[in-house]
Amino acid sequence: MQKFDTKDLRQTILKMAYAGSTVHIGCAFSIVEILAVLYRSHLKFANNDPEDPFRDYLVLSKGHGVMAQYACMHELGWLTDEDIQNYFHDATVLKGLSDAHVKGLEVSSGSLGHGLSVGIGLALAAKRKQTKQGCFVIVGDGEINEGSIWEALLFATHFELSNLLVIVDENGYQAMGTTHEVMQLGNISDKFRAFGFETREVHGHDELELDRVIKDLMNLNSKAPRAIVAHTVKGKGVSFMEDDNRWHYTRLTEDTYKSAIAELNSQEP
Amino acid sequence: MRNAFSSALVAAAKSDPRILLLTGDHGYTLFDEFRQACPDQYINAGVAEQNMVGVAAGLAKGGFKPFVYGLSAFVPIRVLEQIKLDVCYENLPVIFIGDGAGVVYSSLGASHQSTEDIAALRAIPNITILSPADHYEMTQCMNLALRTDRPIYLRIGKSDLPTVHLSVPDFQLGELCQIKHGTNKMCFIATGSMVSTAITVSEKFGEIAVWSAPCIKPLDTEKVIYISKRHELVVTLEEHSTYGGLGSVIAEITSEHSPTKVYRIGIQDRFSKFCGSYQYLMKAHDLDFESVLNIAKRLNK
Repeated sequence: MQKFDTKDLRQTILKMAYAGSTVHIGCAFSIVEILAVLYRSHLKFANNDPEDPFRDYLVLSKGHGVMAQYACMHELGWLTDEDIQNYFHDATVLKGLSDAHVKGLEVSSGSLGHGLSVGIGLALAAKRKQTKQGCFVIVGDGEINEGSIWEALLFATHFELSNLLVIVDENGYQAMGTTHEVMQLGNISDKFRAFGFETREVHGHDELELDRVIKDLMNLNSKAPRAIVAHTVKGKGVSFMEDDNRWHYTRLTEDTYKSAIAELNSQEP
Repeated sequence: MRNAFSSALVAAAKSDPRILLLTGDHGYTLFDEFRQACPDQYINAGVAEQNMVGVAAGLAKGGFKPFVYGLSAFVPIRVLEQIKLDVCYENLPVIFIGDGAGVVYSSLGASHQSTEDIAALRAIPNITILSPADHYEMTQCMNLALRTDRPIYLRIGKSDLPTVHLSVPDFQLGELCQIKHGTNKMCFIATGSMVSTAITVSEKFGEIAVWSAPCIKPLDTEKVIYISKRHELVVTLEEHSTYGGLGSVIAEITSEHSPTKVYRIGIQDRFSKFCGSYQYLMKAHDLDFESVLNIAKRLNK
């Protein structure tokens, strides 16, 4: 039984980021609890098979956080230790953004504003086939600058995709600054409600609350699609990365890697 | 030609519930029959093409075979990145219908005219590009599209031109159709609306071979080499920019494998300056019968 211990997941992310000398650590850290709760308690995969035709879909539309999903896939046994250690090495398949050619990743994203529409197509396909599959789509608050997101929200409501849950990772930052500085979003929940979504706000690092709200939403007797606006912290889990947008693009050095790992090790379970 | 498309689609959808039709609020009257026959398979995605293509990709991943309809000025141009990333990267069975290609919407101006769609799509891996010349070619294009589980772009240009075949030609993906044989040093390879013009112009000379290219990607390299070895000059004709369309494909193949002079007749890297009838616009772009005849006379000296 996997635990999806968030401390372990963050350590796996750091190992990958260090091995691959890669960026987007902050983007991955903000969605660790969201993914842990989804994989632990909500996503169904028969026989632990990422290609089970009746699986629930997890669509990482904000593909920049993909290392967090890799960490969960590692825990599920879908990725090996070698996959983690060889991240970004020549001729390996795990890219720096979600990529549908990898078993376990549903869409190719990272060009933002794509995954939600593809997820909606998956949700609509499941509805038409009456397979009871759910589709969980994670979008970033920066990502929802994209116009295609709002096209997609209209469509999801019009076609009554009650099997769709959109989770907004509201960490308050995008590549070049805070969302407030770059493109003011106003109240995201109000916007989703105005588009017809059953919408809840949660503390995005509180696993119990996340779990409860996801259950509540999916059990609602409503034809509306569902949304959660998760208040998160970019870089969550390592003090010197938290709320510091440099960790969108900064690579780990030996020092920062070691001190980040040490800090995670010292945290209470 | 649009009727041939609609009939083939309705017949296929009736027997295969996996076939879905998505439209971005376009296709006035064209889909009346489809909506009547298969109302549950008709999805109007609203005036929101980006989302429509992403949804089509998701539906294809979920086991459906979506047809995505739009004006070619929007599908593929507005949604090029969705076609690339959501559909072609995964080689999904989504069929894009780009209607009104070329300068069909002559009076509506640049927003509705599409003379760059082939060029834009050609460089995207996995996609097949079809460009039928008449309703017979359209029927065969639909036959091929329906039994191919890969991304396809089906370009529909001016649809009420004279037919160029007498029956449904039996071409496969990539094959050229020989319409007329001829031993003249010059030959014509045309696609879409320009095939009938090529035939009419060739009749003024006699003995000019005319080929139709209902499939622009892939294109039978061996056949193009064969043609180029038998003629001194290959003239290509298309209602599309001379950059990146049929003429470019032919020139690429011949220059690499069988250097032959290729003259490309098409839109000369410019927008339409004025509006007017389709015939007026074709003349303004030197694509009408008289203009092509004059070019051919000059080339045939």
